[in-house]
Amino acid sequence: MLKFLTFISVILSIMELNGQMKSDYNPMFFSMNNEWKEITKDESIFEFTVKSLDTIYNTEIAHTVKLLSNNAGEPKLFFSDIETTVCADGECKIANIKVYWNLLGNYVGYGIYPEYPLTKFEHDEFEKEDYAKLHKLLSDDNSILKRRKMSDLIDKVPVAPSNTNLSKDMDGVSGATKREVKESVVKGGLYSCYTLWHIVHGPVKDKMKDYMLSLNTSELNRYFLYTPYKDYQLYALKQLDKTKFKTHSEQIIKIFKTTDALTKSYILKKIPSNVLSEEKITVEYYSTFPDIDINSRTLLLKKIKFANPISVNILSRYLDYLTKNQMELYLKYLESVPNHLYKKIKGELVKMSKNKNYPYSYLVIEFLKNRK
Amino acid sequence: MVVVYNKCKNKSIMKMTLSNLLLTVCTLMLFNKSIAQKEVLIEAERFIDKGGWVIDPQFVEQMGSPYLMAHGMGVPVANASTSIQFNEEGTYHVWARTKNWAPGNWDAPGQFKIIVNGKALKNTLGSTPGWSWEYAGKTRVTSTDVEIQLSDLTGFNGRCDAIYFSQSKKMPQDSDSKLDTWRKSLLSETSIPEKEQAYDLVVTGGGIAGCAAAIAAAEQGLRVALIHDRPVLGGNASEEIRVHTLGIYGKFERILKMIDTKHYPNGSFEAKYDQKKRDKNVKKFKNIDLFLNWRAYDATAKNNVITHVDAKHTASGERIRFTAPRFVDSTGDGWIGFWAGADFSYGRESATTYGEEWDEWGELWSPEEADNFVMGSSLIFQSTETNETQTFPHLLWAADIAEDHQSVNGEWYWEFSRNDLHQIHDAEEIRDHMLRAIYGSFSNAKKLDKNKNYKLEWVSYLVGKRESRRLIGDHIFTFNDVKNLTKFKDAVVEESREVDVHFQSNLKDSSVPDFLSTAIFYETEKYYIPYRSLYSKNIENLFMAGRNFSCSHIGLGGPRVMLTTGQMGAAVGIASAICKKYNVNPREVYTHHLQEYLDLIEKQR
Repeated sequence: MLKFLTFISVILSIMELNGQMKSDYNPMFFSMNNEWKEITKDESIFEFTVKSLDTIYNTEIAHTVKLLSNNAGEPKLFFSDIETTVCADGECKIANIKVYWNLLGNYVGYGIYPEYPLTKFEHDEFEKEDYAKLHKLLSDDNSILKRRKMSDLIDKVPVAPSNTNLSKDMDGVSGATKREVKESVVKGGLYSCYTLWHIVHGPVKDKMKDYMLSLNTSELNRYFLYTPYKDYQLYALKQLDKTKFKTHSEQIIKIFKTTDALTKSYILKKIPSNVLSEEKITVEYYSTFPDIDINSRTLLLKKIKFANPISVNILSRYLDYLTKNQMELYLKYLESVPNHLYKKIKGELVKMSKNKNYPYSYLVIEFLKNRK
Repeated sequence: MVVVYNKCKNKSIMKMTLSNLLLTVCTLMLFNKSIAQKEVLIEAERFIDKGGWVIDPQFVEQMGSPYLMAHGMGVPVANASTSIQFNEEGTYHVWARTKNWAPGNWDAPGQFKIIVNGKALKNTLGSTPGWSWEYAGKTRVTSTDVEIQLSDLTGFNGRCDAIYFSQSKKMPQDSDSKLDTWRKSLLSETSIPEKEQAYDLVVTGGGIAGCAAAIAAAEQGLRVALIHDRPVLGGNASEEIRVHTLGIYGKFERILKMIDTKHYPNGSFEAKYDQKKRDKNVKKFKNIDLFLNWRAYDATAKNNVITHVDAKHTASGERIRFTAPRFVDSTGDGWIGFWAGADFSYGRESATTYGEEWDEWGELWSPEEADNFVMGSSLIFQSTETNETQTFPHLLWAADIAEDHQSVNGEWYWEFSRNDLHQIHDAEEIRDHMLRAIYGSFSNAKKLDKNKNYKLEWVSYLVGKRESRRLIGDHIFTFNDVKNLTKFKDAVVEESREVDVHFQSNLKDSSVPDFLSTAIFYETEKYYIPYRSLYSKNIENLFMAGRNFSCSHIGLGGPRVMLTTGQMGAAVGIASAICKKYNVNPREVYTHHLQEYLDLIEKQR
């Protein structure tokens, strides 16, 4: 009965809060630049409902998502002022959090009402570092919490085998570690963290993405391509018609130089041969060779036959960066290059064949033996 | 007791046992300008006493032979030794075929010496990148009985493939293309086995799938050969690799419970208990001839029908030809199919090839353009806390890979794949990269006071592969079969565990070292795999079970776990009984005897 009264009082409190609160846009943590400062317009666009995790009162709570736009009417962010119960076995409390997602539905930040701080299970308030930890957790879209039921996380972690020294940090359920769960959530705030993560990364993301697709315009794609955000850039690159690659080649090389290995690979796979074969473009890409990841280097080597021949010269300066298989790829390609080109780089090969610090110089020696 | 056959030129075939003290080697008399040159080739894996060295047969297809490796986890292992007979006394130059497995601007990790008749030869070995002959020094042989030892100096995976003695100082044959012929010539061996054994079914690969196939077929009364290149069964589930079995039992719970594992953490010492259970259960079948430590090296097909599989003992070099009307490829790497000319695929298909895209994960799941970013291979390791301080060195060659990563244990996500590396052809480099990552990360962890009593307990040296060749069957199992929960009329395997596809974490975050992976999970209800994915499309008498079954890259993501692959094995074992009964090929079980086959499977529960 007491639990029921607590639950009712929580629901009543939410209703009261809904009447009183007016959201502002001033996040505590925000992983984009200052988009939130540009917001002059908000518009409620849809609602989404979330089932309570409580095992006794299995309720659904509805939340409204707003589209936030700037003065020019350009959409910038999705937002939801979320008030939710955090319940476990009938014990409930309220969590208030203002969540920001970017236009692809990826979480980018949150804010709170100072008067309604987040609390831990024992009703202690979050400390400053706890808020930072929550932001880090919410920023991880593949968190260890994703596949776990709440019940998996509470006292259900299997006991390690008798030889505990061998495996004391292991969780036999999936091979993940207890430590990993512990490290990813706020100490004492597991219920709050779990509830919020599943709201932020729940079906609402797909709804936002669908909404964005309904707005899809070439202006929006252009905006994505020219922003400094990796997820926007990759999205825009995927939308980009190959015939437009040349038009945006300066921006794409800028992205290439700053983005992650995944997007680098994507660019190198997609770049049309007629663009890559331009000397200026070849120089731009191949000159990055020492600064990029090994997978991207492999793709540059595989693309060499489509690039301008100057790529052969450029790579000859970076031979000591090549893995064994990459060196084999390069040497294989050299078998087919004309003599005048080969002569230009032979000196570098000879140098490499004598380089005692390069572990695969024996491949170069073998090659030089066979190609005079 | 294993019987070893060996042959010496100009001598009759000798039959001997491994307990014999003498190792047979051939001394060839070569005449060059009237000067007699003596030469002796000794395969390291044939050493009579391996000491603390282990036989590593994983990379035979790439470097030519099983080899001995000093896997001491930083503690030099006991000497390996052997006795041989020379025909002639005299001065001999000595080479070892070896490699520096972590070349760079530091001391080679795996250094060793050769000792002849108690005296160490001059040069330290293991210093040259790539497999090659390194000159060990010269020795005076004053008696025809010669004792040779391998003396490990570091405990860090020094390796020796073969030792060559010659009265000439001419470098031994080093050309990859000629080496095999040269070896056989010196050992007076041929590729064609002299011994031939016939069975109803030949199963190659004794992982969970192969074991299940052998048991299921044996229970139906077939005479089965189970060929496996390790001393114990289970593959990735064995105590040598220690991954626990996951998935459901489907219709084969009784069979799979003979060979599965408990749900201990990956890497747990408890794997040894399930090992005993598995080995005992397979060995109890009188109609399974178990060939442990035998590695298949060829399969021959005539008119798309395999006539035989040839295998070689990983230590003695003895060869046997296995004939049967039908064969199971459960090698994981699809070797039998590959040698026989079966169609196969490798790598990640483009998203449009089978329509397997998943927007949430985009390129990490299924790329727009096909590529080689396959799931990687793992090496798991464990350490234990002792009662006293344990030292572990700082290793430049390991720090280069581990950077500042610290760990005292390694789980499934210690995984390595890179697009310039092939999971089969470059498996040794992949394994060695992981060894460097492990030793380096452990060394970093040991610098912390809290880990001062930790000691490396166990590090696998066997590559735990997830993905390699996929042989193509009449049906290619894809992500869509999971999404649609397709109810195949020939469904013989079922699974409800998530589709679980990995990518290297550094693709998204360059701060993560390159030997760690991230898993993407697709939650699913129970889905089914059809029998048509378990036999080859173009090799008429070839079944496949295990990760080399007919699927796409994403299709492999779910069924690659070992209870699912075990179900595949059991399913083909049962199918082979139908094949035998009607003298038909695997496809005809589907086209003509499906109901009888399904009924027989139902009886397995």
